[in-house]
Amino acid sequence: MYSRTIEIWVGIFVALGLVSLFLLAMKVSNLAELDTGGRGYIITARFQNVGSLRPRAPVSMAGVRIGRVTKVGFDKSSYEAIVEMRISGEYDTLPTDTSAAILTAGLLGEQYVGLTPGAEEEYLKDGDEIELTQSALVLEQMISRFLFNKAEEAGGTEEGKAEKKATGSAKR
Amino acid sequence: MVTALQWLGQWAMGAVHKLGRAHLFALHALSGFPQVLVRFPLLVVQVYSVGVLSILLVAISGLFVGMVLGLQGYNVLSDFGAEESLGVMVAASLVRELGPVVTALLFAGRAGSALTAEIGLMKATEQLAGMEMMAVDPVKRIVAPRFLAGIVSMPLLAAMFSIIGVLGGYFVGVGLLGVDEGAFRSQMQAKIDFHEDIVNGVIKSLVFGVIVTWIAVFEGYDAVPTSEGVSRATTRSVVYSAFAVLGWDFVLTALMFGKD
Amino acid sequence: MTSPFSDQSALVSIRNLTFTRGGRKIFDDISLDISRGKITAIMGPSGTGKTTLLKLIGGQLRPDSGVVQVDGIDVHRLSLGDLYELRKRMGMLFQSGALLTDLSVYENVAFPLREHTRLPESMIRSVVLMKLQAVGLRGARDLMPGQLSGGMARRVALARAIVLDPMIILYDEPFTGQDPISMGVLVQLIQDLNRGLGLTSVVVSHDVRETASIADYIYLISDGKIVGQGTPEEVDRSDSPWVRQFMHGLPDGPVHFHYPAVDYASDLLETAVSG
Repeated sequence: MYSRTIEIWVGIFVALGLVSLFLLAMKVSNLAELDTGGRGYIITARFQNVGSLRPRAPVSMAGVRIGRVTKVGFDKSSYEAIVEMRISGEYDTLPTDTSAAILTAGLLGEQYVGLTPGAEEEYLKDGDEIELTQSALVLEQMISRFLFNKAEEAGGTEEGKAEKKATGSAKR
Repeated sequence: MVTALQWLGQWAMGAVHKLGRAHLFALHALSGFPQVLVRFPLLVVQVYSVGVLSILLVAISGLFVGMVLGLQGYNVLSDFGAEESLGVMVAASLVRELGPVVTALLFAGRAGSALTAEIGLMKATEQLAGMEMMAVDPVKRIVAPRFLAGIVSMPLLAAMFSIIGVLGGYFVGVGLLGVDEGAFRSQMQAKIDFHEDIVNGVIKSLVFGVIVTWIAVFEGYDAVPTSEGVSRATTRSVVYSAFAVLGWDFVLTALMFGKD
Repeated sequence: MTSPFSDQSALVSIRNLTFTRGGRKIFDDISLDISRGKITAIMGPSGTGKTTLLKLIGGQLRPDSGVVQVDGIDVHRLSLGDLYELRKRMGMLFQSGALLTDLSVYENVAFPLREHTRLPESMIRSVVLMKLQAVGLRGARDLMPGQLSGGMARRVALARAIVLDPMIILYDEPFTGQDPISMGVLVQLIQDLNRGLGLTSVVVSHDVRETASIADYIYLISDGKIVGQGTPEEVDRSDSPWVRQFMHGLPDGPVHFHYPAVDYASDLLETAVSG
């Protein structure tokens, strides 16, 4: 049963299969844009609340994805979340006073880390930490703050104003 | 009542016995793989019979499934004003689920049943016994090449199904329904992750390839050597393959795509 | 009881063999010898397990007790690898021929050579053509098994069985269902191969006339026991009623014509009364 025709057909079959896999990898998935600038470097940032940020979430600056979250950890002594991210090697001019915020893509989309550059002339290197961070906005906290403000305005008495002065600083 | 329990017990023992035989059989066949690689033409002939002859079925099915995904996906997404995500939806459904699973089911029906019938018939016409008496191990000579061919062919077929399906979804979505071409492709490329989606999909199709081919060759080898026995074995092979594929799909999906 | 030929020349020696299947005793403590270079026939009614005996000799089945020795080697004590080595020296002709249906006649005969030897293609070709010539089917080498008649298929299977020059050939019902000419051809072939190649042959059959015409020694088996043995002349002259019934094809004797039933007269009357 073995013949040259069969050999050729099997060769075509395997070729088609591999081409399909290649196309899937290159054209359908994000393989093409993965880490083109070499392995990149790792930086960390601490947050009070990371919301629903997960590993592999994008790290962007000015709306352009420059890296990915690699690890989300927890510091047992300071009770903070530690986010580790890998920045693509070609983006090596991030000032040391860059700030990081956890933002949401769209109204109900997935969360990502947005970086905003500072003004320092020195740049972040592998292993550095971002000092200025802004935690994720938690919906329930926003709602309760909103309701509290509304209730205060409706109150408008001396008591209300005094309370507002006293609790205003505690909220921050 | 007691007879029912008795029957259940007997059935269970029979099932466990069969499972044991199937595993020993698989190990025996696995031990023949090195020989198959040395005698490459044996493998090539089987890949032709099992893989090449399934291309048409897989390609046409993939095209239609992709097109239907395009239609249905558009219907659902337009309710949320999210038509631009059609590319992601079609590609994710295909690469993660439909590609491996539907291809496995089609494969079981077309190639799996043929393998069962072929091996069962060889058993019924004493060809396997004849080989044993000629000091040729039929499991290594007949079963092993077919087993390996199935494992090799499945991922390739599943990949073809997926890529053709995406094309089908593209034709329907962009071509017929007016989804923006750029949005379709860019969202898809941004959201479909190579490691999470493509690689996991390939792993699934490999696992399914092992399952379907294993069931097919074992049912043939274990069949009662009469025409009725072979026919029943062929039916069993397709049915058990379907159960196994769908069951393992759930397990693999939970492991691979479940939230942490 | 063993054959009159001395033990040293027994290629296959079976002692106290017992084998049960499905609750039935197929063989009950039987002993026999297959002598070297001779054609030994195992005969008996259908269903006595004659094919089973060949499978026991070939190691495809294990006996409950007893010893089967081939060329001095205990078959059922061998490891799988050694058993395969032994089988390379044995040839078996199945009732249906058991040719591989997706290979041509040529490829079927070449199969053992391709699997077990590293002979170059030219040598394989020579051997295959010689064996096909011996069975008279060299011209049919490119046919597929589906295109062969039953008799031709058996001859091809025979060519395949001798391709590695075995020391013994086991024939499973070679004459069953053959027309007189094919039968004559096979009878001649078995005899020629035995003499010409110095083979030992075991023929399992219930075709009395053909088998007796070529056998050097006959064993008659019924109900798991050996009920008669000897050279064809001895068996033919035997006084045993069972042997006589079998050898001469008598319709009634130790093997009854009537299946056990109640008394005939009362059976009929009963129907008449109730009917």
